[in-house]
Amino acid sequence: MNRVLLLLLGVAAWAGVALTAVLITFNIGEKNQILMFLPILAAVAVAWGVGEVVTERVFNRDEGE
Amino acid sequence: MALFARAFEKRELRDPGIFRAIFSNVWLAPILLLLRLYIGYQFLMAGAHKVWGGERWIAVSGPDGLALKGYWERAVAIPEQGRPPISFDWYRDFLTFMLDHSWYRWFAWVIALGEVAVGIALIVGAFVGVAALFGAFMNFNFLMAGSASINPVMFVVAMLVIFGWKTAGWIGLDRWLLPALGTPWQPGSVARGPAKEGAREPSAPDIRDTGRQRGPHPSPTG
Repeated sequence: MNRVLLLLLGVAAWAGVALTAVLITFNIGEKNQILMFLPILAAVAVAWGVGEVVTERVFNRDEGE
Repeated sequence: MALFARAFEKRELRDPGIFRAIFSNVWLAPILLLLRLYIGYQFLMAGAHKVWGGERWIAVSGPDGLALKGYWERAVAIPEQGRPPISFDWYRDFLTFMLDHSWYRWFAWVIALGEVAVGIALIVGAFVGVAALFGAFMNFNFLMAGSASINPVMFVVAMLVIFGWKTAGWIGLDRWLLPALGTPWQPGSVARGPAKEGAREPSAPDIRDTGRQRGPHPSPTG
């Protein structure tokens, strides 16, 4: 797959984390900070996974060494 | 003269192993992630109240920053009995100067948008060290103005994140941003431009290459 697309996918994953955090902050407020924290943590986990699988391939200069 | 020469010689002292193991090795990146998320979330929530909340500081009908003006006025007030909120006279003079010049109108934007930006940057792990530095600076100023609240905890956590700036964003955008953009003392792949065909790129600020224990700092000299 095109490197740019892979890179955009990785960036989109982390943009999704930011969006999730902002939306959660808007919609839940301070009612339950644990419940607010969990979706953000889940979004980070997803973005991390995308980064490990996708973005790392774009930037991994040492591959094959 | 020899004393001065020794005092100011260019000699880098290496961090001890335990410090590097905690703050320069990615094995503790998950812990730093949690710390980062905690303060990032707190900053985002605090900033969201000021930007979008019902009692927001900015974009209100009338002059902006009236809430900040009230906060500053309470901070600089010296009560007849008891201790004033601000311990340092120079800091009280500083806030008084900003009050007298109505700086709260634009400073409210700086604080509100700054808190949102710091919060998002810490959550997504982009430029974590810089974001934590700005965050700690805001906590410092709230503390100086006499507001304890959660600021002491936030300040300490922000300092830990600053110490671990190389690895705090490992689970985040910094994992690729730092090698690409580099540091002021070591340019990254973007600053160096495209590598020649077939030539291996010289090492970027190598937060990614921890398996070989090459940090972003140059080798110690002297």
